[in-house]
Amino acid sequence: MNTRIAIAASLLGAVALGGLLAGCAPEQTEAFLKNVGGVEGLVRNIKDASGTVDERREIELGHGMMETLLGARPLVADPDLQLYVNNVGGWVAAQSDRPGLPWRFAVNDSDHVNAFAAPGGYVIVTKGMMNALHSEAELAGVLGHEIGHVVRKHHLAALRKGAFMNLLGAGAAAGAAGKASGELVQALVGPTKDLYSKGLDKDDEFEADRVGIVLATRAGYDPYGLPAALQTLAKIKADDPYLALLFKTHPNPGARLDQLALAMGTGFDRFEGSPQNAERFRAVTRKLRATP
Amino acid sequence: MIERMRRLCWLVFSVTVLLALPAWAQETGFTLRETDVKAKPFLDAGLLTKLPEKTVVTVLQRQGGWMQIKSDETQGWVRMLSLRLGNPDPKKNDTSFLTAITRSSRPSTSPTVTTGVRGFSEEDLKAAKPNPEELAKMESFAIPPAGAAQFAAAGKLVARQVDFVKADGKPEKVKK
Repeated sequence: MNTRIAIAASLLGAVALGGLLAGCAPEQTEAFLKNVGGVEGLVRNIKDASGTVDERREIELGHGMMETLLGARPLVADPDLQLYVNNVGGWVAAQSDRPGLPWRFAVNDSDHVNAFAAPGGYVIVTKGMMNALHSEAELAGVLGHEIGHVVRKHHLAALRKGAFMNLLGAGAAAGAAGKASGELVQALVGPTKDLYSKGLDKDDEFEADRVGIVLATRAGYDPYGLPAALQTLAKIKADDPYLALLFKTHPNPGARLDQLALAMGTGFDRFEGSPQNAERFRAVTRKLRATP
Repeated sequence: MIERMRRLCWLVFSVTVLLALPAWAQETGFTLRETDVKAKPFLDAGLLTKLPEKTVVTVLQRQGGWMQIKSDETQGWVRMLSLRLGNPDPKKNDTSFLTAITRSSRPSTSPTVTTGVRGFSEEDLKAAKPNPEELAKMESFAIPPAGAAQFAAAGKLVARQVDFVKADGKPEKVKK
């Protein structure tokens, strides 16, 4: 069985249980059960979804989600910039507990300020976010935060939640009517939109901040890059349309800075004077800032 | 005519100086709590004074975890995370994103119009259709680990051992 079909089957399993939990129509549930080879297979798969999704499936899942996320906005057409974020992100991710994931980074052509990740090593930062940053150390901190979500499997934790399962169920039913190869992607369209407009668990965001500063510090950067980026965001009015989705899906920047103040204390002072590489960042993003 | 030229030169000069200002220039901030002002950006540097909570300061620059500030007669260094940029009264915090990035060192090239925003808003996300071509493009920019290491070396970045931290700052043991 190829990977794509395997994961689709596994997700359908998860879906069916989600449906059962939510009291879906019995005939719908029956159809799902038929697809995944009975209750036994289903239980096995839902166990997979609850923390032990194997790495290959995790990457397939992220791949499927990313296809929809890139449908919202395409990449910025600047190969130098795309290679640059892959270099910074790749180097920071190499300091994580999962250096072997196929890490991929990109800047999308969005004026809104945001950054997001998908399971398996996919990270997007918006053009608006790049414009809000001042240095490579700040970028490393932002990418470190996203890498933190992937390494700590925060999206998979969100996937376990009932509402997501129901949406996945509806998506899978729609997908089953189409081509088999697009089944997983189609099944993920609804759940992906739902997840990325609601956001992850608040505590997972705080955890990703702490992972982000440690990874950036391990990578040799000034540890205060992420806090500096959050400082910039903290002074922006709460109803600014450019930050609406970021503010909706994350604790407010002030709360995140308060948490980081507690977690960092004076423990990162010994890394005083580490590179910020502002010049390299400015050189690569010059063209970006010139884009109207 | 000469007077006009002179005026133009002065204008060009002023704009150039403004553009050359560092990113933190003209930032206003305030203390979150009673805060030590140090002579230098180090923990063991001499204490100049203490600022009470909610003292409004001008931020001159950032250096690592420290910010150089000015408040009345005082000028010195405070811990960055004891400060918040903006106004102590959040209702008066009316800085828009565009103003915020315009105030930094990039005024001439920032987006200035709010019409025709190409964005990743909730609405844009809802309207999204899967785009396999863009994903393939994203995959094509992946860099092998050796390449990223080379890039790091060129940027004088040296990898080092650092423990993860828990919310209270204590080291976190990570289950592998």
